Amino acid sequence: MTLLNPELEHGFVKLLEKHQNIIHKVCRLYTNSYDAHNDLFQEITIQLWKAYPKFRGEAKFSTWMYRVALNTAITLYRKSKRRVPTQDFEGVAFKMKAESYDDTEDQRVKGLYKAIHQLNDIEKALIFLYLEDKDHKEISETLGISEVNSRVKMNRIKTKLRNILNS
Amino acid sequence: MDELDLLKKDWKAQSENRTLSAKDIYPMLHRKSSSIVKILFYISIAELVFWILINTIPFFSSQAYKNKLDRIYENDMIFMSITYLSYVIILFFIYLLFKAYKAISVTDSAKQLMQNILKTRRIIKYYVLFNLVIAGVSIIIALCCSIANDPETAALFNSFSPKETSIAIGIAVSFTAVFILIIWLFYRLIYGILLKRLNRNYKALEDMEA
Repeated sequence: MTLLNPELEHGFVKLLEKHQNIIHKVCRLYTNSYDAHNDLFQEITIQLWKAYPKFRGEAKFSTWMYRVALNTAITLYRKSKRRVPTQDFEGVAFKMKAESYDDTEDQRVKGLYKAIHQLNDIEKALIFLYLEDKDHKEISETLGISEVNSRVKMNRIKTKLRNILNS
Repeated sequence: MDELDLLKKDWKAQSENRTLSAKDIYPMLHRKSSSIVKILFYISIAELVFWILINTIPFFSSQAYKNKLDRIYENDMIFMSITYLSYVIILFFIYLLFKAYKAISVTDSAKQLMQNILKTRRIIKYYVLFNLVIAGVSIIIALCCSIANDPETAALFNSFSPKETSIAIGIAVSFTAVFILIIWLFYRLIYGILLKRLNRNYKALEDMEA
């Protein structure tokens, strides 16, 4: 049904194009290679598109996207043998290349990524939402935990991250 | 300024350098998902079809075999009731699975999503368990009926000494048990691999609330 609605498709693609950085960031947190990044990006896009007809605009598109992207990364995603045609990711504008996966970032962000990669999936989600300036209400709603526990856990993860970064 | 706040600034400043164009995104919408929900869905369909086929095998066998079955299980209401009961229960499971899949929504909270997927997986588990129990009971009843009604089997058992009879029954029961156990382990393995990450993450979320 959604497949036959070019207007809906066009609107969705425009929004996705605008907010795609959110997905790229999630992909970088949860994958370790160029191929896996593309594969997860593809899966998140499919999940967003499938859920889009129910998106009523009462939530901000980006807010809604955080939830779907994280849910896909934490719960639904399974490494697939699907080959994502590389031309999708080799547009002129898409500068990230396999060999320079990390080189475009400065040292500190690199260090941060390295530290975050040592956290578990749920901790990554928490710290990601923190780095994206989400408040504890939104974090707790996205993950389905209480606000108090979100705060407590966040403080622990921050300490853990500082320790990793300083070690 | 806190070190993490500095990092937050860096975090926000990064990643402007990679963008897909609308032209790149369009074809992505029409590719197939490989999510665990989809795989779970295919497995549940396969389970339904597999056990329904197992139940209907006698209908497709040769007439001679059917006649033999009729002779052995003459006037036997037990098998009929088991068959009808299993159809009712299979329909019930189809309804439960349908409801469970409808409930899975990627826009729920992470915890709710995981709970709904695990619930679906539990329904499939009970369905398999139910079929294994039915299979076990059927094999045992079939054995009893054969001994009672099939002249060949009856003659064979009559030639056994009491000790041999108990050994034969023991072997039959063990084979049934091993067969059921192997199928059960097979399912555990499939779901274990498929849902390993989900289970781990669900536990991490649960631990947070502890």
